[in-house]
Amino acid sequence: MPLDAYRINTEPYYEPQDTEIDIFTAAYSERLPVMLKGPTGCGKTRFVEHMAWRLGKPLITVAAHEDMTAADLAGRYLLEPSGTVWHDGPLTQAARHGGICYLDEIVEARQDTTVVIHPLTDARRILPLEKHNEIVPAHADFQLTISYNPGYQSAVKDLKESTKQRFIAIDFGYPPPSTESTIIARESGADSDLATLLVRIAERSRNLQGHGLDEGASTRMLIHTGRMVRAGLPLAAAVRAGIVLPITDNPDIRAALTDAIAACVP
Amino acid sequence: MRSVSARPSATLQVLFEPEGDARRLHLIMRQRDALRPLFLATWEALSRQFDAAELETWAGAVLELVNVNAGPACLIAYWEASRDAASTREIAPLLGAAQICAEICRHAGAPAATASLNALAIARRSFGAAALSRWWRAMEMLARQAPESVLPAAGRMGQILLPGTIEAFEDFITAGLRSAAGDRNRRLAFFSLQDDLARRMIARDPGGVGFPNVEAEVKAFTTALWGELPLLRGMAGDSMDKPQRRSTISGPIIRLPETYRGVRGDAARGLFRAATAHAQAHLVLGRARFPIGTLKPLQVALVNLIEDARVETLAMRALPGLRRLWAPYHVAEPRGIATAPVLLARLARALFDPAHVDDDGFVAKGRALFAAALPRIEDSAISREIGTLLGNDLGQMRVQFNARTYVVEPVYRDDGLGLWDFDEGAQPPDDVLDLFIDAMRVDAQESADGSNQQAELGNAEAGIGRGRPVAPDDRGTVIARYPEWDRVHGIERPDWTVVREVAAKSGDPHAIEDALDGAGAVRNRVARLVRGLRIGRIVRLKRQHDGHDLDVDAMLDAGIALRSGQEPDPRVFRSSKSVHRDLSALLLIDISQSTCDRLPSGATVLDIERLAVAVLSEAMDQLGDPFGLLAFASDGREDIRMTSIKGFDEAYDRPCRARLAGLSSGLSTRLGTALRHAGNVMATTTSTSRKLLIVLTDGEPSDIDVSDPLDLVEDARRAAVDLRSRGIDAYGVVLGTAGIASAPRIFGRSNTMLVPRVENLPARLSELYFRLARR
Ligand SMILES: Nc1ncnc2c1ncn2[C@@H]1O[C@H](COP(=O)(O)OP(=O)(O)OP(=O)(O)O)[C@@H](O)[C@H]1O
Ligand SMILES: [Mg+2]
Repeated sequence: MPLDAYRINTEPYYEPQDTEIDIFTAAYSERLPVMLKGPTGCGKTRFVEHMAWRLGKPLITVAAHEDMTAADLAGRYLLEPSGTVWHDGPLTQAARHGGICYLDEIVEARQDTTVVIHPLTDARRILPLEKHNEIVPAHADFQLTISYNPGYQSAVKDLKESTKQRFIAIDFGYPPPSTESTIIARESGADSDLATLLVRIAERSRNLQGHGLDEGASTRMLIHTGRMVRAGLPLAAAVRAGIVLPITDNPDIRAALTDAIAACVP
Repeated sequence: MRSVSARPSATLQVLFEPEGDARRLHLIMRQRDALRPLFLATWEALSRQFDAAELETWAGAVLELVNVNAGPACLIAYWEASRDAASTREIAPLLGAAQICAEICRHAGAPAATASLNALAIARRSFGAAALSRWWRAMEMLARQAPESVLPAAGRMGQILLPGTIEAFEDFITAGLRSAAGDRNRRLAFFSLQDDLARRMIARDPGGVGFPNVEAEVKAFTTALWGELPLLRGMAGDSMDKPQRRSTISGPIIRLPETYRGVRGDAARGLFRAATAHAQAHLVLGRARFPIGTLKPLQVALVNLIEDARVETLAMRALPGLRRLWAPYHVAEPRGIATAPVLLARLARALFDPAHVDDDGFVAKGRALFAAALPRIEDSAISREIGTLLGNDLGQMRVQFNARTYVVEPVYRDDGLGLWDFDEGAQPPDDVLDLFIDAMRVDAQESADGSNQQAELGNAEAGIGRGRPVAPDDRGTVIARYPEWDRVHGIERPDWTVVREVAAKSGDPHAIEDALDGAGAVRNRVARLVRGLRIGRIVRLKRQHDGHDLDVDAMLDAGIALRSGQEPDPRVFRSSKSVHRDLSALLLIDISQSTCDRLPSGATVLDIERLAVAVLSEAMDQLGDPFGLLAFASDGREDIRMTSIKGFDEAYDRPCRARLAGLSSGLSTRLGTALRHAGNVMATTTSTSRKLLIVLTDGEPSDIDVSDPLDLVEDARRAAVDLRSRGIDAYGVVLGTAGIASAPRIFGRSNTMLVPRVENLPARLSELYFRLARR
C-alpha cells in the first residue's frame, strides 16, 4: 500500500470536548470536507490524528505557509538522471491513493494556492494536474480536512467565500474545565490538583482575551507548564516561563496577569 | 567627520579654523588660569562625542555666555551640564540651553542663570529631551516675566518637580505668574513656596503612585480575575485634613482615590489592586441593593461590613490567593479602647481571618452569626439580617459612633454607598446620610465636574494650545468660501458657500474609552492588522536573477532546458522586497441631524461613528500614519460648519478623544463643500505621496436651502472628481440605506463602501483603511 507510512497504528489520546467525533465521522462517511476552527493549541491536530486512527485511514499533513505554491500541494516534475519525472504532491498522493489530507493553518497560504482544492471539495471530487496533463479522480477513501484559527482572521488574511462554503465546520474552544484538567494530567503527568489549578490559571488569561491578549493560554501551554513543574521547577517560576512571558510583552498586562494568577494559588 | 574624536587634546588646536569660535574660545581660556583645567577637561570629554563642526557650534554657545558676562560660576555650570548631556550625542539641546541661559542672564542676572543650570541636573532626572526643552522655555518665560523669582524657583527645583510631569511644571509657572497678578512680592512668595497655592500644586507624594499610573494595569488585573471589564474612574484629590478617602461604587462605576496618601511604590500598586478587586467582587458576586428603610447609621455600617465579609468569602472560594492580597490591611489588634470604629475594624478582621484570635464578646457574637449563616452565603439577605442585629447590639452598648467621621476599615474597602438603594420610599434620616456625605458629594461633583473640567480644558486649548482665533459667535469663524455647481443652469457659482470653523466641545473621553473596551473583538482584530502592517509588507518575487532562495520551478525549467540543449533562463531565484507606506488620511465625519437616529441596540448612529473613528484612530496612531479628523454639518450655504477633532500635526491624545466624545448631531449635509474643504486641508497640510479622504455619511446630501437633493449630489460628485485630480483618493462610507443610491454616483462604485448594518461600521471602516493602506 503506497500510503502505509502515513497510517497511525496506536490510538492517539484524545478527550472529546463535545460531539466532534460524531460530526467528523458523519462527514467522513459522506466524504465531505471538514474545517476545524479554534484557537492555537486546543487539540485540532490531535483530533485529526485520532480520527484518522479511528477510521483506519492514512493521514497526510501539510503545514500551509505564505510561500506555498499550488505545485507544493499538487506536485511537479523533478529532474532525475533519466530525465524529468513527475512527483505527486501530498494532496495528490492522498487523492490518488485514498487518505485524509490535513491542511494545517490554511489561511497562511495565498488564496491563489488554496483554489487547487476546489475541484476536490465539491461534487466533482477530481484533481486536475495541468502540468502533468492528467485528471486524478479522488480515491473513495480520500477526504480533506483543514484547520483555521479565526483569531488570525482578518480582512487581509481570510478564506475566500467560495473556499469557506465548501466545508463542514467544527468549532473547537477550550475544553470544559474538568475535561481540560484530565487532558493536562494525562499529557503532562501533573497530579489532578496541579492540573485543576493550571486550568484556573488559564481562565485568568482567557479573561484577558481581547483586553490586552490576543488569545488566552492554550491547553498546550498548560501541558508545557505542567511538565516544567514535573521537571522540578517551582510553580510560580514554571507559570512565568510557561505562560506569562511567552504570551505577552506588555509590562502592564504581564504584571496584571502575574497578580491575577497569584490570586488562584491557595 | 569624527576624526577628531580619539585624539589627545594637545593636538586639537591644529584642526581649528583660523578664525573660528573654537580657536577664539581656546585663546580666551588661555588667559583664565582658574577656569582652564576645567575647560580643557570638558573640551576633551565633548570631543569624544562630537565632531569638529559640532564643537565649533558649542564653542560659539560658550562665547555667547561669555559675552553676556555670565561669570565663571555660570560657565562652570554650563560645562558640567554639557558633560552630563554629552553621552546623548545631541548637540542641539546643549546649544539651546546656552541660548536660553544667556537670555536668563540678560533678564535675571548671572546667579539666576547659574542656578538654572544647576537645576537642570534635577530636571533631567524627571524628563526626556522633549520635556527638557519645554522646561527651558518655561524657565525663560519666568525670567522674562518674573526675573526676581528665577533664583528662588531654581533653588527649589527638586520640590517643584515632585508632581513629575512637564505639564505640571508649566502649570506651576503659569499659575504663579497669574496668581501674583504682577505683584513682585507675591510672585516671590509663590516661587519660594511660601504661598499656599504653590504648596498645594506641588503637594504630590514623592514616590507616590497615582491612579492614572496604575489604571491600565489594575484594569487588566481585575478583568483577568473576574472576566468582566471594570469601569474605573479616579476621584479628584481630597484635602489633607480629612481621613483618606475610600473607593466608592456608583452604579457600575468604581471610583478610586487619585492617590492613597503616604503609600508609595509597589505598596500603592498593591493597594489599588486590593481596592479594585474588592469593589469588583461586589459588582460581580454581590449585586445586592439594600433598601435603607429605618436603619440607624451604625446598622448601615454593620450591614456594609457583613456584606464585605460575605463577598470576600465568596471571592476567596473561587480565588484563594486573594487572601494574600487583602490580609496585610487587616491590622486591628484585639486590645485598646473599644470604641465603635475600633470594634468594627476588629470584627472585619475576625470575619476575614478565622484563625485570628479576638475574645471580645461583640466580635465573638458577630463571628458566630456569620458562621451560622455560611450555608446561605450566596444570599445577600444574610448581610442585612446580621448587620441589623449587630448594629442593634452595639447601639445598646452605648459606644461612641460618629457617622460624620466614620471611615470604613481596612483602607482597601469601598465606603458601601453602592450597596444601598436611596431612591425608593421616604427620605432616609440625616444621620444615615452623614455616613455617606463625602461619597455623595464626590459622586455629584464628578458627574458635574466631568463637563466643567472639560469645558475649561476646551477653553484653555482654544485659547493657547491650539492657537486658533476665538469664535465671534457660536456660528464660528469664517475660514473659507467655495464655489458650488448649479445643475439646472450648468454653471459654477463662485464663492457660493461659506465654511466656518466651530471650536470643538470637549466631552467625556471615558465615553470613548469605555466604548473601545466594549469593542474588544474588533479592536483585537485591528490590532493584529496593525502589527501585520507595521512589520512592513513583503512581496515575494519569483524567477529573479538574485535572491535568498532557489525558485524550484524555475530551476527545473532551467534544468530541462539545459538537458534539451536550450539556453536556460538564468533567473532561478526567489527574493522578497518590502514595501513602505507613505500615506496620510483624513476622516470626514457627517454629524448632521440624522446621525442622532437610534439603532436597535439603543446607540445612535453618531455613537457608532465615534467608536469606529476611535478604533481606526488608535490603529493609525500606532502605525504612525499622519491623520486628521474633521466633522461637518451645514445650515444653508452661508453656514457650513467644520469642527476639527484632530489636526494632522496634533497628537491623538485624551483631549482629542474628549473632542471626539463632545461631537453632537444637528443640521444638514452639504457634502460638496465639505469635500472641497477637506481637500484643501489635505493639500495644504500633508505631504505624503498618497492621500486618502474617507467620508462617513449616513445619507444623501441635503440642505435647508436646496429643494432638489440631486443638485447637491451632482455638486458632490464634481467635488469628488476634482479631489482625484488633486491626487486625493476620496472614499464614501455610507451608513444605513438612505444613501445607497447617491453615494456610488458621488464617489464611484469602487470608491463606495455600503454599510447597511450600521453596527458593523467599526470593523468595516478599519478593514477599508487597511485594504487601502496595503496597496
Ligand atoms: N481534547 C484533547 N485530547 C487530548 N489532548 C489534547 C486535547 N486538546 C489538546 N490536547 C493536547 O494539547 C496539545 C496541543 O494540541 P494540538 O497540537 O492538537 O493543537 P492545535 O489545535 O492543532 O494547535 P495549533 O493551531 O497551534 O496547531 C496536544 O499535543 C495535546 O497534548
Ligand atoms: Mg496544530
